Amino acid sequence: MGKSKQETKMIEVVLNDRLGKKVRVKCNEDDTIGDLKKLVAAQTGTRADKIRIQKWYNIYKDHITLKDYEIHDGMGLELYYS
Amino acid sequence: MANRTDPAAKSIRGTNPQNLVEKIVRSKIYQNTYWKEQCFGLTAETLVDKAMELDHLGGTFGGNRKPTPFMCLVMKMLQIQPEKDIVVEFIKNDDYKYVRVLGAFYLRLTGTDIDIYRYLEPLYNDYRKLRQKSGDGRFILTHVDEVIDELLTKDYSCDIALPRIKKRWNLETVGALEPRKSVLEDDFEEEEEKEENDQLDDGLEDGAYERDYHHGRSPTRERDRDRRRDSYRYRDRDYDRDYDRDRGRGRERDRDRDRDRDRERDRDRNRYRLRDDREYGRERDRDREREGRDRERRDRDRGRRRSRSRSRSRSRDRKRHARSSMSPRRDRDEPEDVGTRAEPKKKKEKKEKKDDGTDHPDPEIAEANRIRASLGLKPLKL
Repeated sequence: MGKSKQETKMIEVVLNDRLGKKVRVKCNEDDTIGDLKKLVAAQTGTRADKIRIQKWYNIYKDHITLKDYEIHDGMGLELYYS
Repeated sequence: MANRTDPAAKSIRGTNPQNLVEKIVRSKIYQNTYWKEQCFGLTAETLVDKAMELDHLGGTFGGNRKPTPFMCLVMKMLQIQPEKDIVVEFIKNDDYKYVRVLGAFYLRLTGTDIDIYRYLEPLYNDYRKLRQKSGDGRFILTHVDEVIDELLTKDYSCDIALPRIKKRWNLETVGALEPRKSVLEDDFEEEEEKEENDQLDDGLEDGAYERDYHHGRSPTRERDRDRRRDSYRYRDRDYDRDYDRDRGRGRERDRDRDRDRDRERDRDRNRYRLRDDREYGRERDRDREREGRDRERRDRDRGRRRSRSRSRSRSRDRKRHARSSMSPRRDRDEPEDVGTRAEPKKKKEKKEKKDDGTDHPDPEIAEANRIRASLGLKPLKL
């Protein structure tokens, strides 16, 4: 199945909270972190505003897109709760 | 040690009362300066003084979820567990609206269902403005009755999960509560009679209504219905809420079937079914036909979708229970169909593409698109 080369494409990110919750989410590159949080909330059952997505010590902000954070297909992110 | 619950306090809902607030929020409160400085060693009396100084309510705000003083005081009340009389005093007092809301919030967390309805419903008549701190730190305008409404209908407020309470209707059938009597009931009956007379006289609205129906242009009908519903809804919030509650109570017909459902949507659906009910005889036949058509459409939809257990059962329930049900959640599907179809072409149009990607051959992607559509996001770009 060939994916046509577009400006934005679909990627799949893996979010792990190191306490047993590991979630694979399909999303567009131009989705924002806020959208990603909503998708994760839909899959895990927590509330979207309680989720914090980090990479090491960088807390990802809600209004920035995945593409701007250079989050690629298959990349792992850390899932924390606030 | 300062954070321990009073050892003489009873356990609420089977647990330490402070556990009503979830762990992360609780830790944030304990680390908060306001809590450490002002809330240390508070008793019921001194708590009143602190409560009088409140000037806004809210949950946690900011990037690191800082709690508001309102939340700290709620926590303090959970910790010291004041007597019910004191809480009722908080609620009954008229001078300080934030004290009132604080008491109402505490009662909602710890009181019995009957008490909650009995003490919180009179507060619906309080229209005073309140300042609420939103999650991003800004202040929002709200009102006392809006807050009470949230407490009674939603299950999450100010970053605290509210315990489940029984539906009012259940308590009424058991006989523990009187049917809800609104203070404005007499005014409503007058208004309603006046409206009925008006509508019968100028059949303008009805004319449009009938014409659309007979031409089978259901999109317009839905839009009309929505418009009428919205115009009523926003004319006067309380008017509608109380009005519907009373009118709904008086009608046997569909009332029972819908009360079971624990959703705000109930009120919306009631609200505009009751609008229809007013045009009684005409409506009944029309609704039956409409329902037949809805059933047809829904059956067809059901065949096409795969893993839709949630929305499927909901649509099935709704079809079974409500007479003229076009729930807001189904609106997602309506706009696509609405633009393109008239009755006979329905079948063909349905088989063609839906633009939110939920008919993708790959079930995983279709499922993902369905979730995205329900969240209001665009479909996946493949």
